[in-house]
Amino acid sequence: MNTFISGGCKNGKSYYAQRLAQDTAVGEGRPLYYIATMIPRDEEDQARIRRHLAEREGWGFETIEQGVNLTGILDRAKAGEDIDLGGVFLLDSVTAITENEMFPRTLKGNAGEEITTDPAAPERVKEDMLAFGKAIAEAGGSVVFVSDGIYGDGGEYSESTEEYRKALAGVDLALAKACDRVVEIAYGTEEIWKER
Amino acid sequence: MILIFGGAYQGKLDYAKANFNPDKICDLTEAAEPDLQADCFCNTENYVMNCVKKGLEAKDWFEENAEKLQDKIIIVTDVSQGVVPVDREVRAFREMNGRLMVYLAGKADRVIRVFCGIGKDIK
Repeated sequence: MNTFISGGCKNGKSYYAQRLAQDTAVGEGRPLYYIATMIPRDEEDQARIRRHLAEREGWGFETIEQGVNLTGILDRAKAGEDIDLGGVFLLDSVTAITENEMFPRTLKGNAGEEITTDPAAPERVKEDMLAFGKAIAEAGGSVVFVSDGIYGDGGEYSESTEEYRKALAGVDLALAKACDRVVEIAYGTEEIWKER
Repeated sequence: MILIFGGAYQGKLDYAKANFNPDKICDLTEAAEPDLQADCFCNTENYVMNCVKKGLEAKDWFEENAEKLQDKIIIVTDVSQGVVPVDREVRAFREMNGRLMVYLAGKADRVIRVFCGIGKDIK
């Protein structure tokens, strides 16, 4: 059973998602995977990753690094990597993968970076996420997708940020439609939008 | 009156079309004034922004036409969830939109919030 979780920043989505994934894995006796989406670019990112790893310690997650192309996990499993597609996968976050694919970064040393936009990314990410969720469900596993509600702001954004909000919303709506459960987390409490 | 609200890009108009099948939709992004012939008003927040620019209060028109709006569907984007905008005009817009939504929610027989394409009755 796949679940889609969204809500505002710092509302407890990750904690809720980790508990849900862990409960499912323990309850059904399945392996538990954390899909790490951050592509580290500097020491600050490395430190953040170390902190996230420490926070997840003891939860029983095995970390799979996949910052773009989510269905790459399916290919890796088929190629013989020790990944059980019938496991429970926590993807935190849909937001990060969409960002990684939409704005591929070209590092230019320490001087700065060039940010380009990939116009084909929104549609590709959507199809990729749907295909991954479908494949895992068919293998008897489940996916917990975590996204971010960034749609209730009154401010005006730059063109590329607005494009990004639109793209993420497209992915969110498609996942919400495909998933069995849709949950909004508001300050640690759950609001169930869909359950089947 | 039915009020439908939710964040940007959440599929509010598609939800209205799928559930209420309105004949005529007045998109307030393009229309200078709300058209009372329409069954459904969408992007109502753009009417609010125009009111800010003209120095009007958005809910006045809705109050004046309350009787004619009894059977209408009104769709508004909720813009109340972020940081207070730096720009004075956007700040005024956000507040005026809030005042309009409070008025509409009070008047409406049904209030529906849309999240990721899914609607939920909250009144």
